[in-house]
Amino acid sequence: MISLIFLLFMAFIWLVPLLYTFLTTFKNESDIQSNPFTILPINWVIGNYQDVLFENTSAPVAKWFMNSLIISVSQTVLVLVIVSFAGYGYSRMKFKGRDAIFIFLMATMMFPAVVNLIPLYKIIDTLGWVNSYFAAIVPGAAGVFNIFLVRQFMQGIPKDFDESARVDGASEFQIFTKLILPLIRPVLTVVALFTFTGSWNDFLWPSIVFNDIEKMPITPGLQLLQGMYALDIAHALTGALIAIVPTFILYLFTQKYFMESLSLSSGVKG
Amino acid sequence: MKKKAVLMFTILFVFAMALSGCNSSSSSSGSSKNEILFWNPFTGPDGENMKQIVDEYNKTNPEFKVKNLSIAEGDMYTKIPTVVNSGKGIPDLTIVHAERIKQFVDNDMLTPYDDLLADYPEIKAENYVPAGWNIGDIDGSRYSVPLDVHSFVMYYNKELLEKYAPNALDDNVITFDEIREAGERSKKDGITGFGLTWTRPIFLSIYNQLGGDITSDGETPTLNTPEAKEALELIKGLVDDKIANKDGEDPGQLFQSGKAIFYPEGIWMQNGLNEAKNLNWGLTNFPQISPDNIVNWTSSHQFVMFKDENRSEEKTKGMMDFLDYVRQHSLPWAKAGQNPAALETLEDSEYKEMPQSFLVEDPELQKSLKIFDYKYNGFVVEEIDKLVGDAAFGKLDIDEGLEKAQKAIEDKIATNKK
Amino acid sequence: MMINTGENKEVNMSSVMVGKSNKKRLNLSPYLYIGPHLILFAVFFLFPTLYGVYISFTNWDLIGDPEFVGLANYTEILLNQDSTFYEQLRIGLGNTFKFVIFTVPFCIIVPLFLAAGLNTKPKGMKFFQALFYMPSLFSVSAVMIIFAMLFSVSFGPINHYLNVDTNWLSTQPYAWVTLVIVTVWWTIGANMIIYQAALNGISKDLYEAASIDGANNVQKFFKITLPSIRAQILYTVVITTIAQFNVYGQPLMLTKGGPTSSTTVLLMYIQENAFGSGISIAGIGAAMAVILGICIMVVSAIQFFFLRQRD
Repeated sequence: MISLIFLLFMAFIWLVPLLYTFLTTFKNESDIQSNPFTILPINWVIGNYQDVLFENTSAPVAKWFMNSLIISVSQTVLVLVIVSFAGYGYSRMKFKGRDAIFIFLMATMMFPAVVNLIPLYKIIDTLGWVNSYFAAIVPGAAGVFNIFLVRQFMQGIPKDFDESARVDGASEFQIFTKLILPLIRPVLTVVALFTFTGSWNDFLWPSIVFNDIEKMPITPGLQLLQGMYALDIAHALTGALIAIVPTFILYLFTQKYFMESLSLSSGVKG
Repeated sequence: MKKKAVLMFTILFVFAMALSGCNSSSSSSGSSKNEILFWNPFTGPDGENMKQIVDEYNKTNPEFKVKNLSIAEGDMYTKIPTVVNSGKGIPDLTIVHAERIKQFVDNDMLTPYDDLLADYPEIKAENYVPAGWNIGDIDGSRYSVPLDVHSFVMYYNKELLEKYAPNALDDNVITFDEIREAGERSKKDGITGFGLTWTRPIFLSIYNQLGGDITSDGETPTLNTPEAKEALELIKGLVDDKIANKDGEDPGQLFQSGKAIFYPEGIWMQNGLNEAKNLNWGLTNFPQISPDNIVNWTSSHQFVMFKDENRSEEKTKGMMDFLDYVRQHSLPWAKAGQNPAALETLEDSEYKEMPQSFLVEDPELQKSLKIFDYKYNGFVVEEIDKLVGDAAFGKLDIDEGLEKAQKAIEDKIATNKK
Repeated sequence: MMINTGENKEVNMSSVMVGKSNKKRLNLSPYLYIGPHLILFAVFFLFPTLYGVYISFTNWDLIGDPEFVGLANYTEILLNQDSTFYEQLRIGLGNTFKFVIFTVPFCIIVPLFLAAGLNTKPKGMKFFQALFYMPSLFSVSAVMIIFAMLFSVSFGPINHYLNVDTNWLSTQPYAWVTLVIVTVWWTIGANMIIYQAALNGISKDLYEAASIDGANNVQKFFKITLPSIRAQILYTVVITTIAQFNVYGQPLMLTKGGPTSSTTVLLMYIQENAFGSGISIAGIGAAMAVILGICIMVVSAIQFFFLRQRD
């Protein structure tokens, strides 16, 4: 089949850098310097992993890991709650200025977040959140793009469903929780996955907000680590590979949920 | 029900966060009463060495212990203005690069050391490398105390030097002519003569060797000059004649795999080079046009005190105590590959054996350490970083490039002054 | 829907009655739904953005107090042809637009085809899926290290095994080619997942009906598949465009904005002005950011107009 050939071809292209990364983490640094072309390691070493994982004084990788876990999970939960409510509000509920407000939100998000950093830092400072988890968790939930995504998916659910439920006497809240939420489970899974991954990989904001090395999440922490191994590629890539493990595991878990079909068209009966 | 579970989960988490958040924020961002909050940008391997010095100091049980906080350089300089303006959590002692100090003084952000030096007579000019000490002297007051002077010099492969330029080091200075000769011989064997590494200090050193400087009077920038053109042409010449590496090649890799003779880099890189197997390297001055006028580009880490009205006199005395301790115990810093500014370190034989100490040992060489502390240094180096690489590899016209760079610097200064 | 008119009339009545008595309640509850987000948005996004816009009307070095200068920054970067900052805006915005035009089509088409391919549920589907998604989990600096090595002139496996000497990173047009390849490799995972979820929701009945009518695969794709996932395509096009307008890490770390500023994007100049090594020129940086924001808004508005759900 054409699609299989196509997929295999693309897979090969995608695989090359990944394989290269994976194999390099097992190479000796000096081997890389002297034989940079070789794909397979000349001497397989696990020293890189040992160094990165257990070198704990100035690079407490385990602590960073926990920090990231707490921050990313919290943010994901927060975002899921806020986004479902807001998405429902902008797609299903009628109120004055609904679309205008939504457009305004989207428009504001289009400004590059560069110069916002200073006032945002000042706000965090005023709230007393510098160096605390709150600073890393809460501002991230202010985003609009997830609401946009959820809204788009909700648009795909026929409004008739709501109507028939209303006829049955359901309140807005019940329609929301019992009817719509289960139907958008796939997209909520996607939102959870993206939020978790985005939070996990964010390094600019956390490195500004956290002063203490101990409190940093893992991605900016690994940035520092890279600074420590100035000329060192094997260690840097080892750190990078370790960092993606949790987000990858999350992906594997969520895979089946967003593959579920939105059983809309098949369920439309009186 | 799923929603209820999610809601409960959130509430629980928020509580957990509130608890942990409260605990942690109180203990770290601000300085507690008898702790000296010390900010520095040492997030690389040298961070360990500074930590060692701080720990050793704290072990002497001083009245005020030092709390060491290493922040990534870019982030640190971004945070400083915000923190100083907010009045909360201002670091007591901070390490900044020498080139930034004039800016801070102009904006009235630093507390001078003048009154405090009386109690610490050993913190004086005679005990420090002049290039480092002079930085802190601005408008007649002392605003900083030096930690180190770190220079951009040149590493060489001992075997390759023996083979291609056996007598170059006889006078302890390698000239560009000697590099050219060696490169001509070595390129037949596929060995690169000269690695074109960090173009900024390479250019600045050559520029200064030719008599140029980035400012004429401390206010006006001077980049578009005949000396600058000559410097750029020298570098381009090395590339064109295939003495230097090709565009895109990594000089670090070349040197570490034994395929390059000369490798200009900072003294702080030496520990990284030790990772390379089979590399027998030596350290010497940055290459010179003539052995009579030696210039080694240097920068310096300096201790400054940002203004904080809540800082007590006792604590400030404690900080001076720490500075005096550092003056006498800078050896761990030398082990990071640095040159401590405190001359007392020279009394340690272990330090004298380190390759970089030659720059500080010889009072004549001390004069070769040139720190470019022009107050608009930042704008100048931003342009240099973009210009030199492109010029060296023939991607732009040198005259045009210098003109544009000069204009860019002037425009930036003008806008800032408005 | 099988409702007979009799029922319909009843429904209408009751909803009207319900509407009347619950009028006050109905007014409040939407705000409870969108409220929490709006509060967070106002505090953590709207206010800082407005402040950022305010900065663009000032002269500020981040240290002292901002000094109001009206439209001076804007006239400088938009009208003063002599000024370095005008140059920066021209070059930076030009390169940013180029980047968007080069990458967005690939970032939509490639994942769409991949998702379509995966939708045929071939053998090893899960493996393919994970493979295409995995790069998006890496941080930007990790990706840059990997590709700097791969594309290295003398030490990279690519040049070595293809037996060429190309300088991928510091000559054109290879610098752009490299940036596009890296960006696509790195970012399409997210769009692919969205398309997969969307494609999964299209009813098989539609395809069967079309087969019966004699449609071939290509026709099915354009007449059934694409229209059915129009909402998601709109989303991905808008979001991807916004994301690529904000490109910063790839040209900074991979091609270092070269050669001769040909890959220096506007965000790099903004950063240089606001957070550079020298004294901060935050006002100009902010003004450039506002201009960039306006460009993004205009482009997005055009996309919305052409792709919107016509219901």
